[in-house]
Amino acid sequence: MTEILETFGLDWPKFIAQVIIVLLVYTILSKYAFGPVLSVLEARRRRIAEGESNLETIKAEMDKAEENVRATLDRANADAERLIVEARESAEAVRVQKTQEAVKEANQILEKARDGARLEHERVMGELKRDFGRLVIDATAKVTGKVLDDQDQVRINEEATSQIAL
Amino acid sequence: MAPFTPGFFATKLPILASGGIGAPSLPDFGWLTNSILVAAVVTTAILLFTRVATKKMSLIPNAKQNFVEFVIEFLYGQVEGIVGKKVAPKAFPILATLFIFILASNWFGLIPGVGTVGFGQKLAFLSVDSSFVNAEGHATFTPLLRPATADLNMNLALALVFMIVWLYLSVSELGVWGSLVHIFGPKGGLTGFLKYALMPIFFAVGMIEVLSIAFRPLSLSLRLLGNIFAGETLLHTMGGLGAALGLGKIPAFLTSVVFPIPFYFMEILVGMLQATVFALLCAVYIKLSTSHEDAEHH
Repeated sequence: MTEILETFGLDWPKFIAQVIIVLLVYTILSKYAFGPVLSVLEARRRRIAEGESNLETIKAEMDKAEENVRATLDRANADAERLIVEARESAEAVRVQKTQEAVKEANQILEKARDGARLEHERVMGELKRDFGRLVIDATAKVTGKVLDDQDQVRINEEATSQIAL
Repeated sequence: MAPFTPGFFATKLPILASGGIGAPSLPDFGWLTNSILVAAVVTTAILLFTRVATKKMSLIPNAKQNFVEFVIEFLYGQVEGIVGKKVAPKAFPILATLFIFILASNWFGLIPGVGTVGFGQKLAFLSVDSSFVNAEGHATFTPLLRPATADLNMNLALALVFMIVWLYLSVSELGVWGSLVHIFGPKGGLTGFLKYALMPIFFAVGMIEVLSIAFRPLSLSLRLLGNIFAGETLLHTMGGLGAALGLGKIPAFLTSVVFPIPFYFMEILVGMLQATVFALLCAVYIKLSTSHEDAEHH
């Protein structure tokens, strides 16, 4: 075996020198290359995983916020519509109420005006009747040439006013 | 043609002693060879690059850090896929080191000049005799640099370091008794009489397994050596083909440039493939020796 290996060039001092070189490369690469690089790769992997996780959280929060905004908007829209409906109803109610009040007030004014007119009419008619009775009495007194007593005056006055169909 | 003997380099250029098949050795400075020099250069290059790339690590990487991260992340994914999530952190450093080092060494050997720039007799300006020795066994050419993985010493060193780490991982994962049971014990969830009846067979299988484990460093290192050495020889042969065919100086020069080009592409693939095969087999060995019997059945 040794002869075969020596034929292929095995030489112990050279072999030991090569072993030292290989051990040197192995030790240095393990300590100063593979270790730090694998640490950085692991740190980056962790960071990416954290980033992904944060992204998921942020996305979930955004979805939640969007949902909240949508719900708030829906609520606001519903409130606005309700307020508009209420305002319409209220306005309608107010309009009806005011119309009724106006109509009532107008009726009252009309009634008052009628009462006033009727009273005025009655007063004027009373005065007219009194004036007419007095005129009839005066005319009767002048035509007959006699002085009419109170009884006659009352009678003539009643007859004269009963003739007037006012 | 004056032969270049090992003694010539021992006295004149001790640093250029060759490593590898048929390489001359230097009694006074024997361990320092051109392939060790390349191994040192590759080591320095890898360490310098990783140092520069990982000096100021940040979560937002620059181009160098990005490249190193890409390579390491890719390799880690492959290792994790083979050995499993639990063993991967412990197995990754040795497997990644093996892959990166072998790949860098293999590809370094393809840099023009590696193997052809050196001292001694050349076939032409850019071509050398691929055997580096003449019929009498004397060195004809000693290259300044040779691929580190074309030297059995390096490949065996890689395999040996791996086997030490493999042994540590196996024992730390299963324990000494667990590892022995894993190798020699009955498999397939056998119980009762059958379990005891088949024990001798499983013991014999375990002995074969031990033998195969003992040969792993050799199979790993010789496979890599064979492929890379063959690739190097192929490139040298193609480079020297014009001169060997007796073409003139200029045609020989042109063929020494043109002929190896397709094979360079092939050797790029072979370099990657051999690094992958070496690391992959090591990963499989770790997987086989660290997987629990219980986990296999569930």
